[in-house]
Amino acid sequence: MVEKPRIKLPPEAKKGEVIEIKTLIAHDMETGLRKDKDGKPIPRKIINKFTCDFNGKPVFSADLEPGIAANPYLAFTVRVEESGTFRFAWFDDDGTVTTADGAIKVT
Amino acid sequence: MPASIRQGVLDRPLSRAMTATVTMGLVIALAALFGVAPAAADERPGPAPLATGDASARPWKRYDGWPDRDASAFNSLANPHASPPAPTAPRRLDGPVTGDAGNGAKLVADRTRGGSCLACHVMGQAGNADLPGNVGPDLSEIGNAGLSDEQFWNYINDARVYNPSTIMPPWGAHGLFNDKEIGDIVAFLKTLKVPAKFATDVDDPAKRPAPVEKRDNLDPTTNPAMWAVDDAAALYKKRDASSGFACATCHGDPAARFSTWAAAMPRFEPRLGHVLGVEEFVFRHAKATTGANWPMESDENIAMGVYLRNLANGQPIKVDITSPDAKAAYERGRLLADTKVGELNFSCRDCHDPARGGLKWIRGQWLGEPKGQLDHFPTWRTSLNQIWDIRRRFQWCSVAIRGNELPPDAPEYGDLELYLAAVNAGRTLSVPGIRH
Repeated sequence: MVEKPRIKLPPEAKKGEVIEIKTLIAHDMETGLRKDKDGKPIPRKIINKFTCDFNGKPVFSADLEPGIAANPYLAFTVRVEESGTFRFAWFDDDGTVTTADGAIKVT
Repeated sequence: MPASIRQGVLDRPLSRAMTATVTMGLVIALAALFGVAPAAADERPGPAPLATGDASARPWKRYDGWPDRDASAFNSLANPHASPPAPTAPRRLDGPVTGDAGNGAKLVADRTRGGSCLACHVMGQAGNADLPGNVGPDLSEIGNAGLSDEQFWNYINDARVYNPSTIMPPWGAHGLFNDKEIGDIVAFLKTLKVPAKFATDVDDPAKRPAPVEKRDNLDPTTNPAMWAVDDAAALYKKRDASSGFACATCHGDPAARFSTWAAAMPRFEPRLGHVLGVEEFVFRHAKATTGANWPMESDENIAMGVYLRNLANGQPIKVDITSPDAKAAYERGRLLADTKVGELNFSCRDCHDPARGGLKWIRGQWLGEPKGQLDHFPTWRTSLNQIWDIRRRFQWCSVAIRGNELPPDAPEYGDLELYLAAVNAGRTLSVPGIRH
């Protein structure tokens, strides 16, 4: 089953507050270093990049490497100055880009 | 045998359920017309319809990645008389044992032979003394104990000749070590004369702290098994193409209908004559009503098993073991928990009863006691990226002790699950769990 990514962020924050965002996506993160039963290498297939934009401006990004465990979990902090929408994107080796949005109200 | 068995369905054939639903649809429409809230669910009185037949794949095929060794020469829970009988008397040796102590030192740490001696015994500096277990006695000074070569030899070959209730595997009698290798191990044991020294406290099983699971297993960003809750919530509402019915058609609001249901499972099912757990029930009931095919251990079945218990989270486990049939099933489960299985010849209690191996270490792995082993199942296995229900856990126990598992719907597992649930009575459900 294809699972929707998980996002956890506070629905509201005060202007200038530093908030924590937690993200989780279902992915095997196949390293490319393992071999199957017949001794053939299993091709690499990982999420190689993660980005987070806020109102169109990049606020966080990460390059992921084959050493990252399955179902990558990323938590990071962002200072928010205005209400708006976070756009999260996970870039798969196969070209697939999975996105998710999360809104926050800043007072 | 109830008269209503027809075409592999027990009670209330689908056609009657369909009629009921059409009627209820009319009732709901009328209720809407008159502004009256309809009843939440369209459940008819009487026992739940159940499909008969196998609830999992036949022939049962072991999961990918599990050891493929066949252990049909040894006991399983379904066949407790397959293993060779225990020798009745110690073997008399012609003379002193002449073995290679150096090779013995290697053999006691050889994990390919059923886990090695160090899995259960501290043995001085053997295997560099890294992470030995403490299920069996510390053998670091066994060389001073005054045992004869014959006693040493027979203890390893088959300790039952001295102690019929021993939990030590019959290493020789079950063919894990040959006569010469046992001689080598004896020669090594005779060299053990000084207490073990541990480089760190965690190497000492007496001081190694028991593992504690502190993660918030119900936090969706912590526990990937929470995806199964989402999946099953969608399945609950999805109409099966064969019938046009979903779970929701009859059961309505899941949170209201299933707030306690799973805490009373498993239960003895008189129409089938065996104990029915949540997963087997899901298969049989869905098959008989919506027509959905969710055999045990399929993704859909696992997800529904997680979901139905998740809806009952916080409820204390409370199963019926008082009716005569349920009491008999509980009694069978209790005996199964004491049935020796596999080449290593362990029963559940040998490893998990605190009077035996429970609350001790087998090398780096902690053996939990039966209480506390059910409330978090099905559980996420972080080491495997899989959700395991309690039946798969039973299956792995059998394979890990070099025995053959049973299909997940085996009646023996039903009895064992009922016994385990009774032992865990009062523990509150917290599903999906998360474990290494």
